[in-house]
Amino acid sequence: MRRYLRQVWAIAEKDLRVELRTRERLVAMGAFVVLTSVLFNYAIDRTAVHPREIAAGLIWMTIVLGGLLGLGRTFELEKEEGAIDGLLAAPLPRDALFLGKVVSNTLIMGVVVAVTLAVIALFFQVQLWGNLVRVGSVLALGTIGFVALGTLFSGISAGTRMGETLLPILLFPLLVPLVVFGVSATSGLLAGFPLSEVGDSLRVMGAFTVIALAAGMGLFRFLVEE
Amino acid sequence: MSLRTIRWGALVLGLLGVGLTLVFHWQVFFWVPTEASMGIVQRIFYIHVPAAWVGFLAFAIVALCSAVYLWIGEERLDQAARSAAEGGLIFTTIVLTSGPLWGRIAWGTWWTWEPRLTLTLLLWFIYVGYFMVRNATENVEQGKRFAAVVGIVGALNIPLIHVSVLWFRSLHPQPVVARVDGPTLHPDMLTVLLTALAAWTSLFFALFLLRYGTARLEDRVDHLAHAGAVGPGTPNP
Repeated sequence: MRRYLRQVWAIAEKDLRVELRTRERLVAMGAFVVLTSVLFNYAIDRTAVHPREIAAGLIWMTIVLGGLLGLGRTFELEKEEGAIDGLLAAPLPRDALFLGKVVSNTLIMGVVVAVTLAVIALFFQVQLWGNLVRVGSVLALGTIGFVALGTLFSGISAGTRMGETLLPILLFPLLVPLVVFGVSATSGLLAGFPLSEVGDSLRVMGAFTVIALAAGMGLFRFLVEE
Repeated sequence: MSLRTIRWGALVLGLLGVGLTLVFHWQVFFWVPTEASMGIVQRIFYIHVPAAWVGFLAFAIVALCSAVYLWIGEERLDQAARSAAEGGLIFTTIVLTSGPLWGRIAWGTWWTWEPRLTLTLLLWFIYVGYFMVRNATENVEQGKRFAAVVGIVGALNIPLIHVSVLWFRSLHPQPVVARVDGPTLHPDMLTVLLTALAAWTSLFFALFLLRYGTARLEDRVDHLAHAGAVGPGTPNP
């Protein structure tokens, strides 16, 4: 078990180190979520609805769209000069490779989610302080599910001619449960409900995350098989 | 199954399907009583509901064949999955066109976020993704595996998508056939519905077999071409 976790972390650490040195994905996604929020400001007619009232939806859509930008590039580095062969030759199971990618993507996405929350709270005067921990834990659960499915499908889109353009077509139909219950839980918590009120939503999100992780661990090896 | 059996199966099921389609259209237009509250437009139901059943059946076949294909790597299972997916795409398209036509009259709007309609739309997109993945890969074998993964993950997610879309309050008519206390449908209407279901199911399997036979032939041509017996580029001596 400890050996397995070390293998997972080795992959995650490699990706995180590359990311920390280049900061390509973080900068791109960070800028994306800030700029999207700016555009939301002009896209929403304040006489009809105040952005604060639909903050949960804005947070989730920003995370999904911004996340797509980074998830699509999960295997970008491996595609170059056959680096994937080196990675596949490493003495570790394919599911550890998948989990390592999920871990690094989740940590990177965690930063993006934090930026999104801060920006939307700042721009649209959303009261976050009182329930930052609860909203944060819902978003953390959602992020893991989103990243797990996104990493698996990014393995598919990276192997096609269409590349990242294919990712939303594969990913969005299956993200519906996460968005429906994630937005409902987040808006409940922002309205000041206790965590027990949104328990049902959290259960569905949990089920989604477990299925996505299990499917990824079981099926990832078929994506990289020669 | 030999190609001969497949061809005969497709022919018999195809004729049966077309025959039953004619019969149930006659029933729909001239025989079945008009439903009291919805009126004439309710007759779309006989096309819409069986098409939905067949669309979902097709998806179950896709997921099952894909899973076993990844497991044992048998080429024919991939061909079966692809053939079922093509049929499924046709029937979900029928659902998505007949549903709004009915909804315009019965609900007063072309589209609502009604759970089953939404689920069918998402299913349709999963099918589309299945084919896009297949067509966008340079390595054919890899494309098959990619598509199989999409089919399996899609099927695993269907129950959750169903829960989510149901969570929005349902406008859709409640089930009238698959109920614990027996069907509430008028017996004549049930007859038409079952005829239509038999028609669409035979047509689906006819298309399925036809497509499956073609896939097998394509495969054989590929093998021959690779063996150097005949090839697209080789001139006839």
